Amino acid sequence: MVLSRHPVSAAMFMIISLVGVAALFVLLESFFLAVLQVLVYAGAVMVLFLFIIMLLDVGPGASKINFSNWKTGLIGFGASCLLIFLLSALLSPGEDTLSFGQSWTVINNSTAPAPVDALVFSTDISAFGYALMTKYMLPVQISGFLLLAAMIGVIILSKRSGTPSSNS
Amino acid sequence: MALSLLFLPFVSALVILLFLRAKGNLASLVSVFTAAGILILSLLLLFNSQESSLVWNTTWFTMGSWELRFGILLDDPARLLLFIVSFVGLLIHIFSLGYMESDPARPRYFGGLSIFMFSMIGITLADNLIMIFVFWELVGFSSYLLIAHYFQTDEASQASRKAFIVNRVGDFGFLIGIVLTYWTFGTVNLGELADLADFSPSLITTGLCLALACGFIGKSAQFPLHVWLPDAMAGPTPVSALIHAATMVAAGVYLLIRIDFLFTEQALGLIAFLGAAMGLYAGFCALVQRDIKKILAYSTLSQLGYMAAAFGLGAPGLALFHLTTHAFFKALMFLGSGSVIHACHHEQDIFKYGGLRKRMPVTAGTFLIGVLAISGVNFLSGYYSKDAILLWAYNFNLPIFTLLYAGALLTAAYMFRLYFIAFEGEARSEHSQSAKENSLSMTLPLVLLAFLSVLGGYVILYPFNIGSYFAPDLSATALLPHHMWMVVLGTSAWIIGLVVARKLYAQVNQEDPLSRRLPGFFEICQSKLFFDQIYSFYVNKIQDPFCRFMEVMELLFISGLMVRGSAGVTALLAMLAKACYIGRVHAYAFWFMLGTLGFIIYSSGIFE
Amino acid sequence: MLTVTPLHFLILAFVLFGIGFLGLLIRRNILLMLMSLELMLNGINVALVTFSRVGNNLDGGIFVFFIMTVAASEVAVGLALLVALYKKRKSVFTDDMALLKN
Repeated sequence: MVLSRHPVSAAMFMIISLVGVAALFVLLESFFLAVLQVLVYAGAVMVLFLFIIMLLDVGPGASKINFSNWKTGLIGFGASCLLIFLLSALLSPGEDTLSFGQSWTVINNSTAPAPVDALVFSTDISAFGYALMTKYMLPVQISGFLLLAAMIGVIILSKRSGTPSSNS
Repeated sequence: MALSLLFLPFVSALVILLFLRAKGNLASLVSVFTAAGILILSLLLLFNSQESSLVWNTTWFTMGSWELRFGILLDDPARLLLFIVSFVGLLIHIFSLGYMESDPARPRYFGGLSIFMFSMIGITLADNLIMIFVFWELVGFSSYLLIAHYFQTDEASQASRKAFIVNRVGDFGFLIGIVLTYWTFGTVNLGELADLADFSPSLITTGLCLALACGFIGKSAQFPLHVWLPDAMAGPTPVSALIHAATMVAAGVYLLIRIDFLFTEQALGLIAFLGAAMGLYAGFCALVQRDIKKILAYSTLSQLGYMAAAFGLGAPGLALFHLTTHAFFKALMFLGSGSVIHACHHEQDIFKYGGLRKRMPVTAGTFLIGVLAISGVNFLSGYYSKDAILLWAYNFNLPIFTLLYAGALLTAAYMFRLYFIAFEGEARSEHSQSAKENSLSMTLPLVLLAFLSVLGGYVILYPFNIGSYFAPDLSATALLPHHMWMVVLGTSAWIIGLVVARKLYAQVNQEDPLSRRLPGFFEICQSKLFFDQIYSFYVNKIQDPFCRFMEVMELLFISGLMVRGSAGVTALLAMLAKACYIGRVHAYAFWFMLGTLGFIIYSSGIFE
Repeated sequence: MLTVTPLHFLILAFVLFGIGFLGLLIRRNILLMLMSLELMLNGINVALVTFSRVGNNLDGGIFVFFIMTVAASEVAVGLALLVALYKKRKSVFTDDMALLKN
């Protein structure tokens, strides 16, 4: 996706990636999140992207990638350094890293220690909802406000300003 | 009470300069009453303190462990000078009432007079060198203010600047002297210095007292800083009388007397020689001048040389005595010349006068008394003081005596010349034809001063212990040998001068007869030994390029390197920072990533 | 057959993040930069869900929930800004937006 020429193809690849991520969620037994992923991301966000691509009529020449710039090369090198560094930090054996060597067992008798006052993992949506409404009530309300603010912001941003130059 | 004496003229100056700028009459009356008040207060002070001296001081400000004291020391010389300053000052204030009555800038003038009285009394009463220095500068400033009274003319403004700058050069030496004194003795208080005074002379102490004497040289216009006094005659005549005849130039001699315990043999010898040389040199210059005030200015220079010579010979009491009598008759002559100038509508060339004796009898009579006094005519005040100096010089230092005696001859010559040309003969111009005697406010001081010029030599008459400072020296003089011979010499001096003057100058026209008879001599005397030319050469050719060089250095280093350099470093840093703020998002991401990388590396614990 | 350990999931998450980051840096079209941002967020989501599963913890999942919310609103606002910017500058390339340059 990041290297494709036409932005529409980039969007298509993005949708495939998102669906793939949803599949990963299913593998990790958080089914609610998988569905949520498809609905919200692949369904709403990508559609929005496609709308904008169509609106702005961004053609195939729009995806020029700046390879000639040496700075880009440096950036890429730095990004990979970051990556490698993080990976090595993860792989190095330490006391409180997770035991990666073993696969996890079935849910019911997992040997990983659960932190105190944490919610126990379950695949039920009701558990999810319970957690949302009790422990995470404040973030829920705040995200409500956030969505409201985003909506208002979008409306204002897309208002037609009174100057004649905005007529495209 | 001494404090109120000191600050009364200061208050009067403030009042005049702040509130009375437009009201000339009121300002002059305030000033005159202040002068009268000063006289009354000083008489009270002198009357009350029958004991030897009055000492009082307080701390002005402290800087760490060093403190500057502000104090009053009223001992014998201070008493005498206080009396002179207040008395002559009052008379001159009264004279100014008449002289300046048609001048529109009277408040400025009287305010300046009040400031001058304040600073002069400050010098008189001060008890430590730094306080003297402060008031010294103030006196210089008030002299600058008053000389530039007619500042619309080029001559006056340039003269005032010259006076101030030359004075300042002397003060620089004075300041170095104060620093050296503090460094050597640890104190600048005159009383404490007197206690420390018995020390063996060394290079430092000689240099120290010579440096302090630089103040005297600047203020009292001795060689080589004498060039400002003749030019200072551009100020109003009462100013010349007060400042440049009786008091400010006497402040230099007063300073010497205050620190006379510091002087070493060599320094005294040098000062005596300088003084005697000045006495002679000024005499030559005065002989060929046309302007009446300049003649009197050179005569002041000459008499100051006498005082310096007396001091250098080891008789400071005689110097102070001569200062007293000189104050009387010189002020008298200056005021007399002022009266003449006023009557002849500000004409100052003596060759345009003539025959004034018939028209202005009081002025002529008092002026004659002044001339007789300065020439040393017997039994007048000048005779006593001058001949005492000559006797002392004859006994102790013959070369100096020769110089002084020649000076005395010249004094008599030029003074009588002035009298004959100005007051005798026929009127030579229209102004002097129409001259008439002035009002009482101008003639009364003349009469009073003439009275004092006659009687000022009789020390017994001095009330309230004023004369106690020079009594010892005078009694010592009385015991010196060659007394009669000196009387003969002194009398012959003034008689010779009178005869010469009568022969040369009794009948003159518009030009000086000496220029016809002895043209070469006349030329040399007129050139004043080229001092002005030397100084202007120095200023223009040496000092100006140096100043320009310093200016270039300053531009280059201080404003260029340091000021704009530091601004440049800041600008460089700003440019570096600005390079991060281009609008490209990728650059921002780049910097963000670098920062994150750095943070991760740091938090991984490598640097602990 | 290779057992799938949490490490593999994490590696995948990091790879997703890295690809998204690379795309963000390389692209000059703002639209595609925003898409790369979404990809980065998805990578984070995977990592979080992995930790949630391994730690037997529902907190990770709820965090993912909120991330999704925020990401959605962020995309909406970002695209609205982009449209407004396009109306002004008639272009969606960052080169034309660099007003602070020099």
